[in-house]
Amino acid sequence: MRKALFLLIAALAPAQAFAANQVALDNNVFVERVTTDAAGKQRVLLEEPKVVVPGDRLVFVLNYRNAGAQPADKFVITNPMPSAVRFAGAGDTPPLVSVDGGKMWGQLADLTVPMADGTRRPAQPADVTHVRWAFQKPIPAGATGKLIFRGVVK
Amino acid sequence: MMKAPVGGAKHQLLRPSSSALLLCALALPMQAHAAGTVAGSTISNTASASFDNGAGTQTIDSNTVNLRVDELLDVTVASNNPSDVATTPAGTNQVLTFTVTNTGNGQEAFGLSTIANVGGDNYDPTITGIYIDNGDGIFDPATDTLYTAGSNDPVLNPDQSARIFVVATTPGTVADNDRGIVTLVAAAKTGTGAPGTTFAGQGQGGGDAVVGSTGADGQDNGAYKVSAATVTLVKSAVVVDPFGGSEPVPGATITYTITATVAGTGSVGGLAITDNIPADTSYVTGSITLGGAPLSDASDADAGDYNGTRIRVQLGTVAGGQTRTVTFKTKID
Repeated sequence: MRKALFLLIAALAPAQAFAANQVALDNNVFVERVTTDAAGKQRVLLEEPKVVVPGDRLVFVLNYRNAGAQPADKFVITNPMPSAVRFAGAGDTPPLVSVDGGKMWGQLADLTVPMADGTRRPAQPADVTHVRWAFQKPIPAGATGKLIFRGVVK
Repeated sequence: MMKAPVGGAKHQLLRPSSSALLLCALALPMQAHAAGTVAGSTISNTASASFDNGAGTQTIDSNTVNLRVDELLDVTVASNNPSDVATTPAGTNQVLTFTVTNTGNGQEAFGLSTIANVGGDNYDPTITGIYIDNGDGIFDPATDTLYTAGSNDPVLNPDQSARIFVVATTPGTVADNDRGIVTLVAAAKTGTGAPGTTFAGQGQGGGDAVVGSTGADGQDNGAYKVSAATVTLVKSAVVVDPFGGSEPVPGATITYTITATVAGTGSVGGLAITDNIPADTSYVTGSITLGGAPLSDASDADAGDYNGTRIRVQLGTVAGGQTRTVTFKTKID
């Protein structure tokens, strides 16, 4: 019911606002459930969960689409890690990550984290606070794409 | 599955609520434990995209996905005794120490029980009580809480531990080096079972409770080892007659040697050797020795005394593996 209401309001929204943001970003989270069948083979199922427990492996899927008539330049997608989720790698398109709340960005292997004694240690997946994809080329009108990263419920 | 409609209006509508959710998410680390995200909390994910399609840089948010974190039921039990706890035959209030830890992510009560007839040991200790430590780590029946199943089950927060004392009596029939194993079992009161078993609506925060990898119960063994000692006395006599021979004739001197041998891993306390002077013989004054050293006949600071009818040497506590040799002399009347 609420969803229908949202759609109604969206349809009634001013036309300019619509035209200004003709890029859509759709966010889905799946949980990997591993089941073992009678033959002892493991199957990995992706389910759309409502509830999770610590240790569950999550797959974050971001679908983007440039529905406008113009190419979208300087296209950057940023996803702050939910604090209860530990980063666990990404899909075929590796993102830049930040381990300091989005101030510095880089490959995980190149980043360090300050220690209490003033020294710095190499960053771990658990340190990741944000993931980001920054596209070098404009996204042509009508183009779509999918970005994936994984996490584990702390 | 939520499909985000194309266009910004929906996202603009969502923005106030999604930023509120992000604030909630930022507050989570205060509650986060090593055991996991606290049951009942919400994981919120929102991505954003920025781009320039000729009208300047614009930013849009994605839809927000909210996941509720359910309660995971997990517990571990670990013995705190690095090696067997020494006990003695018929020893009472013999204490084994365990730590019960809530490794789940919600507050949970745990039922405790013991198994004394585990097998793989020599005897079954008699459990006399389970006590919940008052926090000092030392067993004291006056200050620690006697556990009664179902009435004062320890309630533990995520990552919290309770120290548990299992108190037992050792049967009097055990032998030296016998071992007695006791298992302490802790089980989540919400329920136990195969990992993944779900108890709908029984989790903290109103969600479900899900059995974790431990099966929501845990156990560990502690063991007692009996330390006992036995005493063996061997008495011998050597006769020396006044003529240089060894005939037991009047006037001959008899030297008695009593050897006490203590065997076993324990020790004996209050060990005393007493021997009556045989009839038709007279005690030779000042003749008691212990380990070759003379002892006085008076009942005084040294270990030996003679009271007119018997000699006595009080050896006190003697550990297993040691011997004590006492000699005294009599003359045949």
